[in-house]
Amino acid sequence: MKGGQMNWMRKLALTTALVVGVAGPIHAEEIKFGLLQDFTAVYTFVTGQYNQGQQDYLRLVNEEGGIGGNTFTAIVRDTGNQPQRGIEAYNRAKEEGAILFDFLSTPVSAAILDQAQSDKNVVITPAHGRGDASDGTVFPYVFPMMATYWAQAANLVEYMKQTGGLEGKKIAIVHIDSPFGREPGPILQALSEQEKFEFKAFPYASPGNEQSSAWSEVRRYRPDYVMIWGAGGGQAVSVRTAIQNGIRPEQIHSVIWLAETDAANVGPQMKGVKRFEATASGMDHPIIQRINEKVIAPGKGSGETANVGNSYYNLGVATMAVAVEAARLGAEGGATINGDALKAGFEKIAGYDAEGLMPAITITGADHQGGGAGRVSEWDGEKWVPVSEWHAAYPDLVRKVIEESASHYGK
Amino acid sequence: MFYRLSGTYHTSYRADRRLWKVPTDRWLVVALLVLGAFAPLYVSPLYLGSYVLPWVIWSAAALSLTLLMGLAGQLHFGFAAVMAIGAYASIHLTRAGIPFEISLLLSGLIAAVIGAVFGGAALRVKGLYLVMATLAMQYLVDWVVVNVPWISGGAHATLRTPAVSFLLLPLDSLAARYWLALGWAVLLTVFFMNVKRSSFGRALVAIRDKDFAAAVIGVDPFRTKLMAFFTSSFMGGVTGAILAFCFYRAVTPEQFGFNVSIQLVAMVLVGGLGSVIGSWLGAGFVLLAPIFLTNIISALAATGWVPVSQNFLSHLPLMIYGAMIIGFLLLEPLGLAKIYDNIRKYFLVWPFRHARS
Repeated sequence: MKGGQMNWMRKLALTTALVVGVAGPIHAEEIKFGLLQDFTAVYTFVTGQYNQGQQDYLRLVNEEGGIGGNTFTAIVRDTGNQPQRGIEAYNRAKEEGAILFDFLSTPVSAAILDQAQSDKNVVITPAHGRGDASDGTVFPYVFPMMATYWAQAANLVEYMKQTGGLEGKKIAIVHIDSPFGREPGPILQALSEQEKFEFKAFPYASPGNEQSSAWSEVRRYRPDYVMIWGAGGGQAVSVRTAIQNGIRPEQIHSVIWLAETDAANVGPQMKGVKRFEATASGMDHPIIQRINEKVIAPGKGSGETANVGNSYYNLGVATMAVAVEAARLGAEGGATINGDALKAGFEKIAGYDAEGLMPAITITGADHQGGGAGRVSEWDGEKWVPVSEWHAAYPDLVRKVIEESASHYGK
Repeated sequence: MFYRLSGTYHTSYRADRRLWKVPTDRWLVVALLVLGAFAPLYVSPLYLGSYVLPWVIWSAAALSLTLLMGLAGQLHFGFAAVMAIGAYASIHLTRAGIPFEISLLLSGLIAAVIGAVFGGAALRVKGLYLVMATLAMQYLVDWVVVNVPWISGGAHATLRTPAVSFLLLPLDSLAARYWLALGWAVLLTVFFMNVKRSSFGRALVAIRDKDFAAAVIGVDPFRTKLMAFFTSSFMGGVTGAILAFCFYRAVTPEQFGFNVSIQLVAMVLVGGLGSVIGSWLGAGFVLLAPIFLTNIISALAATGWVPVSQNFLSHLPLMIYGAMIIGFLLLEPLGLAKIYDNIRKYFLVWPFRHARS
């Protein structure tokens, strides 16, 4: 009885402390990551599963004893994709001692980039955010750490080249009318000159619930390949409308944002559609198996069990696997882990592949993308099946675009 | 007792036209001003930078919008676009080498001219139709910003504000940026209160209540409506520039999207149409309530009091927030300003129960 009462009072005291914003003392052995993401507005299609994977992986690391005695804590907050809420969440998490941040939102990342750099805190922007942040000489504390949109577009184009050739062919790029949708433009321009193909962009209005007019133009263009560049609900609409307009599923190649949910929304017609992937999906990987055994089975998972092994779940797991690996490398030699040590740890990562969950990445002081490798996978009606090997496509060209764009930063 | 009225006589027209007739109100205003001006000394950087500063700027934006919606009765659902014009104009002007003080004014003028052009629709249409016209402005401005790389700043569409100083005060420190924002918001507040008792303000109110009746008594609806759009857009444009330079310091098109316009309308409505204090309260409520709720719910969840999934946890604050808005509007349809007014009137006659006005 008395113990229960004590517990209740402690809870109340702790709650009050948290509510009034007084952070407790920071333990040296507790590494905090701020996962301040958009759970309620634009990125809802990915955030839930992605964040679940991140939290479950950190829990797995803690269950296995942490890294050299260090445990990991995730500070999770909703920002609603609003920059001003992101700034608040960032400042608060910074006071609570977080040294790594993942916003999974382009506007929020953009609003905080400068602040985080001057605070010397690491920001990871896996599969979102500005691609030129791959240039570590310009953006020392930002780590895209996976294939940028430019590397993704290059990878898809190379896959087309290998499967049906490119010379004299026509590629239609159907994209959401936003800065994100425009990302592949420059790289396609450069590639079309090099590989002698023709391409044309067909934008549709955000959020992409209605794309008929764009696709009827695509039909008249008679493309050999189609690239779709959108996210969320618009992706399923793209695939469905494309098929209505006589495009075969095999011709459709998607940016990374196409997952199991979209396949379920499209239905059986989806079979044959291809997408870029930066991490493998499915349960058949050592890390996912261990999460299943040590986190999910004892009931310590942070979300629905059905999501475990999904594309976005595994993507989240991979991001945290890289971050934890960076913390391990940064703590080598007994250094206290702060933003600088973590940055140094990231730049020591060499050939890390999260036990096969992702392509081996090597991050250096100049290359924060980690090589930009990925592969293409195809929906076989039930799951995503890889159809190419992990590799980086046109790395020199991608690097050139990165440096060219990074050189404009700060002007 | 709290608002001593005995001994307060207005013996001249001048005394009767004062902004704050009751001494207690004057002392409250002075106390608030002092508190506001010295906030950087006693408010922690977290709260100053993430709560007080955005609140002050959005209050200025709400004041600009409520001049149009509250006083002149012209609905505007694209006000974020007006602020976007101000923000982008000010950045490009300062980059071109024009001093910051002048580019603030010029960005306000540019926003005012474009705002007044779209406001021209108000000469023909009213109510919901005007909402559609201003929505068109929102989408057009969005489209132009996104599709003209020269404006938005290239592939990533992020434009960083250059380092500037305002009247020799460098806008590097948080305190300096806060003071500039506070100064602008106070200026707008004083301006708004004075507009309300000027002939222009009365003309706006006449237009709001019935525009052809206003025309009959000699108010030119054409001129007055355009002036309303021009003034309000000027205020909004400068506020957008202040928002860019003092708060975000890196501008992206998403910061001025349609949802921001709706938020601004919500601030004005929840606060109370056409009210000064309502703009401040409404901006504070719409901007900060979701943040406070998110933090409280997360803290409760961290201690194990709300055992729910992250997804539900993120939506719970929104549900409470929505319920609060409905609750406030049911309780007092005239907004937070009216709630404040009720409280003030209660204390005006306390310990007695009935106020005369």
